[in-house]
Amino acid sequence: MQRLFISVAIALLAVSCSGTSVDISEVPKLPPVTAEDLNVLLDGSTTPVVVNVWASWCVPCRSEAPLLEKAASSTGEDVFFVGLNVRDDQEGARGFIAEFFPDAPIEHLFDPDGGIPLELGGTRGVPLTFFYATGGELITVHNGVIDERTLALQIDEIMSR
Amino acid sequence: MEFTLLGAVFAGILPLYAVLYWEAKRANAASCTRNLWDVALTATIVGVFVGRVAAMLGDGVYPLTHPADLIIIRGGVATGPATVAALATVAWLGREELWAVMDGLAAAALAGLGGWHLGCVVRDACLGTPSDLPWAIAQEGSTVTRHPVELYAALALFVAAGLVALWRVRSYPRPGVAGGVALAVASAVRLATEPLRPNLGGGPIGWYVLGVAIGLGVAVWLGRQPAPLVDRPPADSDV
Repeated sequence: MQRLFISVAIALLAVSCSGTSVDISEVPKLPPVTAEDLNVLLDGSTTPVVVNVWASWCVPCRSEAPLLEKAASSTGEDVFFVGLNVRDDQEGARGFIAEFFPDAPIEHLFDPDGGIPLELGGTRGVPLTFFYATGGELITVHNGVIDERTLALQIDEIMSR
Repeated sequence: MEFTLLGAVFAGILPLYAVLYWEAKRANAASCTRNLWDVALTATIVGVFVGRVAAMLGDGVYPLTHPADLIIIRGGVATGPATVAALATVAWLGREELWAVMDGLAAAALAGLGGWHLGCVVRDACLGTPSDLPWAIAQEGSTVTRHPVELYAALALFVAAGLVALWRVRSYPRPGVAGGVALAVASAVRLATEPLRPNLGGGPIGWYVLGVAIGLGVAVWLGRQPAPLVDRPPADSDV
């Protein structure tokens, strides 16, 4: 039994330490953005927009990242996805993108101070997801981790406006 | 803290316990020596855990390198693996009296699932695809009315739970048949309501079809077995 425990412990340690280090060289630096820039983008949008606020240190953001990638890929050009990285550094943000959003059609922007979500009408917490109809009308803000049903429902809502 | 999710869990546990209690008072669980409440809770916890791990693996988030993600239940629970794990747990815990345990949990499990779906009211997640039906509901600030699809599922599961419980009281179905029927009904309800749920590319339809097929198969097969010699043991009110 003792051997079994030691074997399992070594296996767990090996797997834990074998986390693949991601290559961020392919990921461009995230462009810094201001609330004004983002409002201009939203006001001039010709499609509905989803703005997801995330950070590389945010554990729940990791859980919803695959869902956002799936949503962005499945809606194609019908919905514009923006990832707003907050209170983070470029290296961490690029590593997160390389690991969890490698091929997603999401425009990632950089807000190191993390003030933009508050100016958009949200909170300081992450993750946070804003749903905008075409033209920048804010429809819903979802605080916390978003699940597939809620994401699909809110995308359907902004597309039907 | 996901308080709304916790609220939905309680909405599921309460009817589960209520039906187990109601059935125990009527000796429906008498042929079973296992504590069905313990079995149900253990199976639920194991099911959610396995379903969460499966969802994480499916999303490319590895539990050993990111163990904290396990507790983010809202991040996703894979229905199929969760159900298989819960049923396997029930089978393991009730291995010496499998059919009695399955039957004892049949109505309660349906009621518990119904409660979980009803918990959408707490989670603010009842709405489905757009609809013009008179009872369709719009979310706050929206003009688009939608099917309250989770309430449909809750209603169907509560009705099924009541019918299964009454059936067991009045007709004494063969051992295991009620369990099979409950699995088929639960899967059929999910299968029937799935097209009304918003999703990002199709729900786990295959798992639901499999559940219906296995449940019906078990019910039909066991229904053809010879009747047991001892029909009903004495009453026992212990849940």
